[in-house]
Amino acid sequence: MRARQLLIAVLAAFSAVALLALSGLAFGHGELLSILISGSVGSTFALEGTLLKSIPLLLTGLSVAIAFRAGVWNIGGEGQFLAGAMGAFLGARYGMIAALAASLIAGALWASIASALRLWRNAPEVLTTILLNFIAIHLLGYAVNGPLQEASGKYPQSDLASASLPAIGELHLGVVIAVLAAIGAWFLLYRTAEGLRLRASGFNRSAAKWAGVNVNAQLVRAMAISGAMAGLAGGIELLGVTHRLFERFAAGYGYAGIAVALLAQLHPLGTIASSLFFGALTTGAGELQRTAGISSTVATFGQAIVILVTIVFTRRKIA
Amino acid sequence: MRLSHITKRFGANVAVDDVSLDFAPGEIVGLVGENGAGKTTLMSIAAGELAADEGTIEDPVPVGIVHQHFLLVSEFTIAENLALAMWGRDAGEIIRESGIELRDVSRRVADLSVGEKAKLELIKAIARRPRVLILDEPTSVLAPTEARELFDVMRRLAATGTTVIFISHKIPEVLEVATRIVVMRRGRIVVDGGTMSATELAEAMVERRSDSPVRPLVNTPRHVSSRPGSAGRTGESDLRFHPGEIVAIIGVAGNGQSELALSLRDSLRGRVAHIPEDRARDGLVAEMTIAENIALADRHWRPRAAAERAAALIERFNIRAQSPLQRAGSLSGGNQQKVILARELERHPEIIIAAEPTRGLDIEATSFVHDELRDAAARGAAILLITSDLDEAFALGDAIHVIYRGALSPRLTPEEAAVRAPQLMAGVA
Repeated sequence: MRARQLLIAVLAAFSAVALLALSGLAFGHGELLSILISGSVGSTFALEGTLLKSIPLLLTGLSVAIAFRAGVWNIGGEGQFLAGAMGAFLGARYGMIAALAASLIAGALWASIASALRLWRNAPEVLTTILLNFIAIHLLGYAVNGPLQEASGKYPQSDLASASLPAIGELHLGVVIAVLAAIGAWFLLYRTAEGLRLRASGFNRSAAKWAGVNVNAQLVRAMAISGAMAGLAGGIELLGVTHRLFERFAAGYGYAGIAVALLAQLHPLGTIASSLFFGALTTGAGELQRTAGISSTVATFGQAIVILVTIVFTRRKIA
Repeated sequence: MRLSHITKRFGANVAVDDVSLDFAPGEIVGLVGENGAGKTTLMSIAAGELAADEGTIEDPVPVGIVHQHFLLVSEFTIAENLALAMWGRDAGEIIRESGIELRDVSRRVADLSVGEKAKLELIKAIARRPRVLILDEPTSVLAPTEARELFDVMRRLAATGTTVIFISHKIPEVLEVATRIVVMRRGRIVVDGGTMSATELAEAMVERRSDSPVRPLVNTPRHVSSRPGSAGRTGESDLRFHPGEIVAIIGVAGNGQSELALSLRDSLRGRVAHIPEDRARDGLVAEMTIAENIALADRHWRPRAAAERAAALIERFNIRAQSPLQRAGSLSGGNQQKVILARELERHPEIIIAAEPTRGLDIEATSFVHDELRDAAARGAAILLITSDLDEAFALGDAIHVIYRGALSPRLTPEEAAVRAPQLMAGVA
C-alpha cells in the first residue's frame, strides 16, 4: 500500500513536469524545461525562492491533509489564509509571537464558521468553506481600503506590520515553523488517540460511531486545526515575506494546498516533499514569465495535472 | 412465465440458489422472507434487470416492477414524470386507466406524500400493461388505509389476468391479500403453498438451525442483583435487563430491531459494548489495521503497545490473521466479527448490546461467540441480545421479548416464549 502511494505520487509529479515540457515543445518553447529547472533549483537565489514559496504551501498542504484525513472537505484554505494574515497584522503590535498566535486563532475561527453551519444546519463544508473564501477576500479588500489602509492613504494596502520574523537573507524563520508543524501534524495523526479517532472518522464515520467515537467532535476539531494551519501560513507569509496586507494577498496558496496534500497522499511528512516540488514549480514558472514571456500561470496547469493523476489512481474516495 | 433453476452470486455470497418458480395468470403471490433472503434479487432477475448466473426464464412475458425506492424525478410534476415513462400519452388518461386515484397532475413530486409517490410509481408500472407485476415492499411506506387501497388495485389487476407478485415481510398483509404464498430463506424457496396460518408462516420465515424444539437452558448460577442494568423504552413495554443476565429480543427482521439498537447506542452512557448488526458497514474501519481498530475507543494510542495487545487478543480470540498490522478489511467476515468482539468485550463492559452477533458465522465461530457472551454475563455484564435466530435466543436468553412493529412484548420466560413467540412475531396474538 505504501509503495503504491509513493508510486502514484512520483507518477503524478512526473506527469506534471513531462506534460509541461511537452506543451512547451508543442508551442515552440523547447527551452521551457531547462528554464523551469534552472529557475527553481539552478542557483542559490533560485533555491531560496523555492524554499520561500514552499513554506506557505507546506502549511496549507498540512491544512488540507488533516481535514481530508478526517473526511472534512475543507476547500477554504484561501479564506483561512487571509483570516490568518489579518489576524497576524493586528496581533503584530504585541510582538511576533502574539502575531503568530493570532494567525492560528483567526484561521481556526474562520474555518469553524463552516463547522458551526454543519452542526447547526448540516450545510456541506465543501460549499460553506469555498463561500467563506469569497467573504474573506472582500473583507481584506475592505480592510486595506478602509480601517487598515496605510497612513498616507495612497494605495489599497496596509502599513508595514509592526513585527516580522527573524531572517537570514531572505530566508525567514517560517521554514523551521512549517517543518515543525509538519512533524506535529504527523504526531497528532499517527501517535495520539485523538489522531486515531480522527482518521477513523474520515475512513468510516459509521463504524467509528459504533466504536464509541464522538464523530462530530472529531469533525469540529479537524476543521479547527486545519484552519489554524492555513491561518498560520497566512501569518507567516505576512510576517516573513510581504510585511503588509494588500488586495491580492492570498495568490492561490489556499487552493494550491489541495494539490500539495493530494500529491503527498495526505501524509504530513510527505507534504514536506510535495510542497518543495510545488514551490519549485511556482518559482520556475516565475522565471519562465521573466525570461521567456510564458505566463507564470502554467504552474496552476501543473497543479491540475497532479490532482487529476492522483484522483484517477487513488482508490480512497476523495469528496 | 417460468423461472427455471435460477442461481445468482455476489462474490462468494449466493443470493439466489437454484430456484425454480412458475406463475399463473390471475394469481397474487406473496413472496416473503427476511432481509437478505434473496426475494428482491430473484424478482430483479424475473424483471430482466439483473442477469442470472445460471438458469433460464421460460415463456417470458412483459414484467413490470415497482421498487422499494422511488425512481421519480422529484423536481418534475406528476405529468412530467409520467411523460418520462410513457411519452405522448395524456397523464390524466393514464391515471384513469390505472384505476388509482391521484389528483392534480401539475403538482411537483417533491411535494407529494410518500403514499402518493408510491401510487405514482404503481401507475407508471401499470401503464405499461405488464402481464406480471412485481411490487417490492410496497406497503412499507403506506398508511393502513392506503395499503387497503393498494390491495384493491392488486385484486382488480389479478381479476383481469395479471399475475401480481407482492414482496413483503409483513405477515398479516400477506395472509390478507395473497392467493399463494412463497417463502424464501437464504436464497432458496422453503415453502410454496396456498393457505397457511400466521404461526406457520412466521416459523417458516425465521431461521432455525436445528429441528429440536427448545433446547434445555444451560444456566450456570449467576449473581443477579436487582439494580436495573438499563431501561430503554420501545413502543409499549419497558425493557429492563440486569447484571449477569442475558435478555433476548426476537422477531421477524424489520420490526424495529435496528432502530432499537441505534437508540440504545445513542442513549446509553458508561461502559457499554455494542456489536452492530451491519458488520460490513458499522463494524470495523476496513482501511485501518486490526490494532488500530481495537484501540479506537482507548484513552491512549501507542502503536507498539497497541500491536502487542492486539496480538494477544488475536491469540485469545483465535482470530485468523497474519499480524496485528493487517488491514481489518482483509479479514473474513467471521474473523472481523471476532475482532469486534475482542474490542468490545476487552473493555469489561457493564452492558452489552449484541445485534445478530452470529449472523453468517460458521458453527465453530458461533459457539465461540456464544461462550464469550455467556462468560461476560457470568462476570456480571447485563446483555441485550437482538437476534432473528430463535435457537440463539433460546440457547442464551434468560428472558425473552418479542418485537413486533416497533413494540416489545411483555418479558417472557423461555418456556412462555416457546409457546407464545410464533404468534407474537406474527402479530396475531
